[in-house]
Amino acid sequence: MAYSEKVIEHAENPRNVGTLDKEDPNVGTGLVGAPACGDVMRLQIKVSDAGVIEDAKFKTFGCGSAIASSSLATEWLKGRTLDEASEIRNTDIVKELNLPPVKIHCSVLAEDAIKSAIEDFRKKQSAKRGA
Amino acid sequence: MTDPFELLGVERRFSLDRAALEQRHRDLSRTLHPDRYVQSPPGERRMALERAVAVNEAFRALRDPLTRAEALLSAHGLAVGDADRPSQSLLMEVMELRESLDDARRSPEKVASLLDQVRARSGSEEALIASVFDDQPAPGPDALGRARDALVRLKYFRRFEEEADAALDS
Repeated sequence: MAYSEKVIEHAENPRNVGTLDKEDPNVGTGLVGAPACGDVMRLQIKVSDAGVIEDAKFKTFGCGSAIASSSLATEWLKGRTLDEASEIRNTDIVKELNLPPVKIHCSVLAEDAIKSAIEDFRKKQSAKRGA
Repeated sequence: MTDPFELLGVERRFSLDRAALEQRHRDLSRTLHPDRYVQSPPGERRMALERAVAVNEAFRALRDPLTRAEALLSAHGLAVGDADRPSQSLLMEVMELRESLDDARRSPEKVASLLDQVRARSGSEEALIASVFDDQPAPGPDALGRARDALVRLKYFRRFEEEADAALDS
């Protein structure tokens, strides 16, 4: 299958590959996967006290589109507030990367990863406040 | 795809006699061979050809434990799709395995040892699936759910095995 130029660019030079400290209370981790293709995607955000995402990292084992989707997501996340971050839709990723219909689930996975990273961060914060 | 068990006329279970399956495939393929339809009307010829293709597909599906498990589950109306989300514990395990594989890439011994470990895990998932489909005539929803979860794990382990095999070949 032919990948779009943008997918190839991200897949060959992925941005923000890496790991943030999962135990850090300012870090939210999202771990998602698509069993149909055996992909696994981890996306992490580090949120400042002002509620702005100051860093984002990912690690994806999957096809080029899955890597590109999560790479793009981390680029978009940096500098956004949590509310702005939760507005990112998989359709935005599809549009930006020109994903073909069979690869749309890769962008859905990236949106899920963003959501669960935010959720993880908020859970940690409320646990901190509750303690 | 039509039910491969029905198409090949073999019993619908997970553990099956590999030699008998191959024999059945050979017999059917011979019956449907284009040489036997040279004198037949075009419609009949085309149908035999289509059936031969379907028989090959069914054979490939049943030969592989993973696609065989898929066929058994889909016969019960259960399919694993893009929208399914695996458990966090499985994802953590797979992430860890894939990262270990990345770290081990330069050492064939380490890759082989990871591969052994994962193959053993696949073996237990296959045993679980076999226990659901072979030990009882009509598995209930709980048993089917367990088989489905095992299939999801099996898919992830298979993917790992392919990556590890590729790492050993390079």
